[in-house]
Amino acid sequence: MTLNSHFGVICLYKLIYIKRLNGGIMRKISKLILALSFVVSVTSSAFAVTVASWGGAYTDSQKQGYGDPTAAALGVDINWVDYSGGLSEIKAQKEAGAITWDIIDVFAFDTINGCDEGLFVKFDFDKDFPAAPDGTPASEDFFAPMPSECAVGNILYSWNYAFDTRAFDGKEPKTIKDFFNTKKFPGKRAIYKSALTNLEIALAADGVNMGKGGEFLYKKLEEEGGVDRAMNKIKELCTDPNGGCVFWSAGAQPPELLVAGEVVMATGWNGRFFNAEVGEGAPIKQVWHGQGLDYEYFALVKGGPDEANAKKALAMMTNTEMLAGSAKYIAYAPYRLSSLDIIKANEPWYKDGKTEMMPQMPTSPQNTKKYFLVDPFYWADNGTEIGEKWEAMKAGL
Amino acid sequence: MSSETKQILTTDGIPLEVSLKKAEKKNKIKAFLLVAPLLLFLFITYVFPIGEMFTRSVDDRMVTNMLPKTFKAMEKWDGKELPPEEVFVGFYSDFKVLVENQTQGKLGQRLNKEKNGFNSITKKLMRQIKRNKIDESQSIKEQIMKVHKRWRDVEYWQAIKRTAPPYTMAKYLKGMDMYFAADGSIAQVDEDRRIHRILWLRTLEIALFVTIFCFLMGYPIAHLLATLPMKYSNLLMICVLLPFWTSLLVRTASWMILLQQQGIVNDFFVLIGLVADNNRPEMMYNKVGTYVAMTQILLPFMVLPLYSVMKTISPSLMRAGKSLGGTPFVAFWKVYFPLTIPGIGAGCLLVFILAIGYYITPALVGGASGTLISNQIAYHMKSTLDWSFASAMGLMLLSGVLVIYWIYNKLVGVDNIKLG
Repeated sequence: MTLNSHFGVICLYKLIYIKRLNGGIMRKISKLILALSFVVSVTSSAFAVTVASWGGAYTDSQKQGYGDPTAAALGVDINWVDYSGGLSEIKAQKEAGAITWDIIDVFAFDTINGCDEGLFVKFDFDKDFPAAPDGTPASEDFFAPMPSECAVGNILYSWNYAFDTRAFDGKEPKTIKDFFNTKKFPGKRAIYKSALTNLEIALAADGVNMGKGGEFLYKKLEEEGGVDRAMNKIKELCTDPNGGCVFWSAGAQPPELLVAGEVVMATGWNGRFFNAEVGEGAPIKQVWHGQGLDYEYFALVKGGPDEANAKKALAMMTNTEMLAGSAKYIAYAPYRLSSLDIIKANEPWYKDGKTEMMPQMPTSPQNTKKYFLVDPFYWADNGTEIGEKWEAMKAGL
Repeated sequence: MSSETKQILTTDGIPLEVSLKKAEKKNKIKAFLLVAPLLLFLFITYVFPIGEMFTRSVDDRMVTNMLPKTFKAMEKWDGKELPPEEVFVGFYSDFKVLVENQTQGKLGQRLNKEKNGFNSITKKLMRQIKRNKIDESQSIKEQIMKVHKRWRDVEYWQAIKRTAPPYTMAKYLKGMDMYFAADGSIAQVDEDRRIHRILWLRTLEIALFVTIFCFLMGYPIAHLLATLPMKYSNLLMICVLLPFWTSLLVRTASWMILLQQQGIVNDFFVLIGLVADNNRPEMMYNKVGTYVAMTQILLPFMVLPLYSVMKTISPSLMRAGKSLGGTPFVAFWKVYFPLTIPGIGAGCLLVFILAIGYYITPALVGGASGTLISNQIAYHMKSTLDWSFASAMGLMLLSGVLVIYWIYNKLVGVDNIKLG
């Protein structure tokens, strides 16, 4: 989700150089050119494991939480490189025959696509990953089953919302319905620029029973007229003279918009809200009712430069203690249930030494009274068509 | 004999004509070798990529090769109602091979781009086949239709049929919100999904207006730059160039801070009593924000070509115009302005072409109207991995630019472009 203006250009060039042209010579030439351009990075990372992740505070938490400890324990260097998401870069590397990344931090959606495209290594979870300290096998220690055989869970984050505590004279929005209630809570809202999670909260606010983990929401969306109903709810909010919408695209925007007073409520990622609220003392407060739990995964690249070491490092980075380590630096929940026990036993767990982390975890009981699990299969299936409808709806605002 | 005497020989006895040709040939080769790196560079970075993009945008051989029996059986199917048993049998045997080779995921992905929903139903079918749940002695059609309700939906089978030709222009049609219907005619997509035409028009509109604004603001600045004494014009030049050297994102973010409702500009308006505190105008997260931010960002691309042309216009020409009886305006309009047209052409083309491919700035400051066609291209490059559709839209954008270039050439003439 980060911004990279030149990304399109780079991709275009990669797309250009590579890939089957009918003649063999052209193909060899283009491969050679690309291979040459990758040579520098390949040689520099020949004896290290390279992990591509999103950068910023998140990568810092990964590096400090489990990257560096794992590197020290295994005696293997672990390099972190930033990327802007999506599979196009690794696809290009693979087609050029010069893969430089060993491990990638990806969305559920991407692990499914990457697995289908044959980019990633398939796992046998109980064999490839260590059991919890109490002996529970890895596959049962995960918060939820993996969306594909190529993914190993890393963190869970939340699409929740936060409000400006100065905006409503002591009144506090408490539910997802309040987010859409412009009578009681007038003011502009910031919502994510694309349909993902917006349709879910719109239906929940429109009175659809979410069901456990949001299963009813997706059933409703699959039904005739379900998507339209959700879109109408959003449209209503955005055209309401007491409401109105600002669309955010970068994760840093929602807390900024709230602090600047541009909007009174904003959906966003809980880690960003936490950093603003606890880290910087911003006058905002998070609401967990109706939150969408989403996942972040690691995938092991097939034929990466150092696959054997990468596999070892991955197994260690995602074990119970290591995953708990990252929660010291950021408010995202470790994917392993047993990691939460470590946090609970050692509160206050946050790096400042005084903030308790359990109430900040998207998976903690008081935060999961009403929630939905973002369904990667639904979005893998329907994402493009809904995206078109969504843009058409936005164009009519 | 006579011909021999006519032939002029060089000192070493070779006919002059031959010798000259030889020398010229050497020169020609030398000249060619000098430009060869450039030609090669152009070929690698321009001709080859565009060719590759084009191949990619029309090449659909993957499905054709994956489902040969299906398409053979489909030849007899009229595409109106659910296909007969043979089509299902053909599809089943093709699909089984894919499952054995573990390549059915690629098919699911490809078909999902044709019609959303294929991803999960091909996965479901794959699982049924892996568990040997399909009994080949019974009706395959009945069994496949039981796997998921979408397999009973004729639209999905029509979508498969659409992917039969190895080469197709379907991606270009999709870029115009159209598709090949079951009977081969061209049809429009559902009204609530016609997004690309909106985006094309919006992209053109924004690029056009940004070019106009840049011209209106850039022309006087360039004129000042060209006519002021050196010590002031240098300072002004730095003012033009300084933002040019600043990161795009920084400039975009600065505009957000300035123009938002609780931003500095609005605070100032409230302070001087121009607007009421509870009625601040919206200058951000709409088209106004896009125009302001993009105009500022692209302004140097207008100013610099204009400046370089204006610098060469002698100030005595204007004086002559005035002394011959023209008012300042007439002198400007009849003498100065026509001389600056090459700069205007270069600046406008440059700004327009850059603006048409912009997407980060509009996405950040444009609010609901911030999605442009290049956002869509990036989305298909990065998220859906539909590179053939991205290529098709990229080429459509390119041909749009070429058309504008052609119109410009007809109106003004390309020889009249001057970058310096």
